Amino acid sequence: MSHIIGIVNYGVAGNIHSVEKAIKKANGKTLIINTLDQFNQVDKIVLPGVGSFKNAMKQLENIGFLEVLCKNTKPILGICLGMQILSSVGFEYGKTKGLGLIHAEVRPMLIDTKVPHVGFNAIEVTYSNDILIGLEKEEFYFMHSFEVINYTDITSLTKYEGHKFVSSIQKNNIYGVQFHPEKSREAGIKLLKNFIDLEKR
Amino acid sequence: MKTRIIAKLDVKPPYVIKPIHFEGLRKIGLSVDLAKKYYEQGADEVMYIDIVASLYQREILFGEIKKTANELFIPFGVGGGVKTLEDFSKLIYNGADKVAINTYAINENPEIINQAAQIFGNQAVIVNIEAKKWNKYYECYTDCGRVRSGKNVIEWVKEVESRGAGEIFLQCVDNDGRQKGFDIQLSKKVVESVKIPVVIASGAGNLEHIKELIEYSKPSGVAIASLIHYDNFSIKEVKDYLRKNNIEVST
Repeated sequence: MSHIIGIVNYGVAGNIHSVEKAIKKANGKTLIINTLDQFNQVDKIVLPGVGSFKNAMKQLENIGFLEVLCKNTKPILGICLGMQILSSVGFEYGKTKGLGLIHAEVRPMLIDTKVPHVGFNAIEVTYSNDILIGLEKEEFYFMHSFEVINYTDITSLTKYEGHKFVSSIQKNNIYGVQFHPEKSREAGIKLLKNFIDLEKR
Repeated sequence: MKTRIIAKLDVKPPYVIKPIHFEGLRKIGLSVDLAKKYYEQGADEVMYIDIVASLYQREILFGEIKKTANELFIPFGVGGGVKTLEDFSKLIYNGADKVAINTYAINENPEIINQAAQIFGNQAVIVNIEAKKWNKYYECYTDCGRVRSGKNVIEWVKEVESRGAGEIFLQCVDNDGRQKGFDIQLSKKVVESVKIPVVIASGAGNLEHIKELIEYSKPSGVAIASLIHYDNFSIKEVKDYLRKNNIEVST
């Protein structure tokens, strides 16, 4: 099998170009998923993220991708907003139901400092997994105003001005990172490579 | 929080040029080459501003932006001539992570900030400010520091924050390109006026200027251009210097 990473294109809000070139840099084969049948042609799925929770879910519904993502059994990596919408529910521009793949809520970061949290920041690995291997001491690029509230599937935390939030999660073959690996230099490329290599070993 | 060090590219496609007081353009090199160079030197972000798009009222040149984004694995902000939600969408599709808007939002339709934030998330919406001092207050300028808008800088940054902007990119017309230091008073005032991150540009002529700005005004990021364009310093040297002076920057 040729092993293809599918990047879900859900309309106006995805930064698919950045994600695609980073996966290619990590020697992955990519396919931009524009239509429902293309999900059958890929081995893994990356759900990128630029946009708002509400708009992302609306877009996925409009193009008819909701059901296939909810029932998906292939490894999936959600990036930033892509991680957030894996959750059960989000509270950006009102309450919106998420994909529900991870039991979690997405809420505004509750801190009395500059928001959005923007810039490179370290991760503190609390439960090491295949995609974080070798990256325990690295910094990644964050750009978000909301955080995932979850207690059971955390793989790393990140501290922003004294406040710790969930920076990555995993439940079975569902992975999510709050930061942008495609914008995190070599460390981000390595994380994507780890995801590409999952189950190939 | 680590202060972000951002390479600012003032572009008249395909060249990065460096104006002084936003005038007198000098060619520095191709935006593609310089973006890559600063990425390799350790920039936290690259900010690309097409400085003539609004002024000449021409379309955004997406091809140049895509080419410039191609070599970058760090965030890429793009501004200049942004007028529609479609511009936001196309820029993001072509590799921008955030989009800066100034002239159109301030002169014609500030509502575009609300709409863009709702679609693209507020982290993707930067408001670019071109501030110029008038007696005791600062006014926002547009069209690359040429046209007065009548808006007070402090009132405008508060307004754009409430409309959903995710970041302020503050440039000072009087200081830009002169390399005589930042306007640290205005910078401090803007940083303290809003809860969203503020990036300060215009004025870095030596390393002390950057240190002074960070210590006094506490911005989220500092944008530098002339200092690195003429190879006086590399971004790595800037970061090493700041680290030595106990200012936190990314590795």
